Amino acid sequence: MLFENNDYNFDYDLLNLAGFNFNRPEKFYTTTTSTNGRLVTPEEGLQRGNMWKEEYVPYKGLTYEKVIPTNEKEMMLFKIMEMEFAVNDLNLYLDLHPEDSEIYEKFKEYTTTCIRLKDEYAKKYGPLTLSETVENTNYEWMKNPWPWENNGGSMYV
Amino acid sequence: MFKYMKTLNYPINIKKKDLKMAKYMYTQFGGANSELAAALRYFSQKFSMPDEKGKALLNDIATEELGHVEMICTMIKQLTKGASVEELKMAGLGDFYSEHGMGVYPSNASGEPFTVTYFSVTGDPIADLSEDMAAEQKARAVYENLIELATDKDVLAPLLFLRQREIVHFNRFKELYEHYKKKGY
Repeated sequence: MLFENNDYNFDYDLLNLAGFNFNRPEKFYTTTTSTNGRLVTPEEGLQRGNMWKEEYVPYKGLTYEKVIPTNEKEMMLFKIMEMEFAVNDLNLYLDLHPEDSEIYEKFKEYTTTCIRLKDEYAKKYGPLTLSETVENTNYEWMKNPWPWENNGGSMYV
Repeated sequence: MFKYMKTLNYPINIKKKDLKMAKYMYTQFGGANSELAAALRYFSQKFSMPDEKGKALLNDIATEELGHVEMICTMIKQLTKGASVEELKMAGLGDFYSEHGMGVYPSNASGEPFTVTYFSVTGDPIADLSEDMAAEQKARAVYENLIELATDKDVLAPLLFLRQREIVHFNRFKELYEHYKKKGY
């Protein structure tokens, strides 16, 4: 591991008072749920940037900021981002370990869920990929916002 | 080929203008250990990977890195939103403004343009993967510097996410490196 001798501790109460919303590492580990012991959930995976329980190395005890959706559109979008993230992280691993059927089953599950969620999202809020444009009556691909824009609120797309 | 998806890898919503932080963030757009260097490095190196595993991994990590480039540019864009020329001058971005206005140009934190001399392609998988492992560690170190410089949780959260990706990529490259060593490359 990269930070074996890392004994620096943040004052979490102070950080949270200052408006931060970080989980304590010990809390984080106890709430980790996984289907086969090696992975965390896609929700947790996206938030910490790592699907692999054993590979996770927080910096100076800082884990992650909780991503909290403010409306249904955002919630659906975050679910898609979580699935996309999980699929990507398993994709990199499977490139090197294609024989790992346990992980491949999870990859299939997340990919299938992701396709379904994106389809639902496109019907309701517009396309995330060009081909999903056909779900809508009018051509909506070029419509704002683009992912880099935030118009004072939280848009993400 | 590539297809665009209209989301970021990780949500970014920076509400507070911070021009100094925007300037620091440029290191990860067009600096020596930047996401752009990573994306182009792995993209170029994939063409000389000797087996299926290497071609797939370099291709797929390069693709992910391009998404990280977009995250960095998004952070810069949002950190500079609504800035006046006077504020840009005060933050040391006057020189940058004279050439690029409010544009986001691939350069490092000192304003030097990005250059492909930041990385190499040797055609030798062991040499290239050694560079890739080092690149991931250097990018991790740069993210830790940026985390120390950050004062806003909206900036800190994506930085922590991106730092973690460097750790995962390092582990994958190391696995591939060891696989090639065993195969006698």
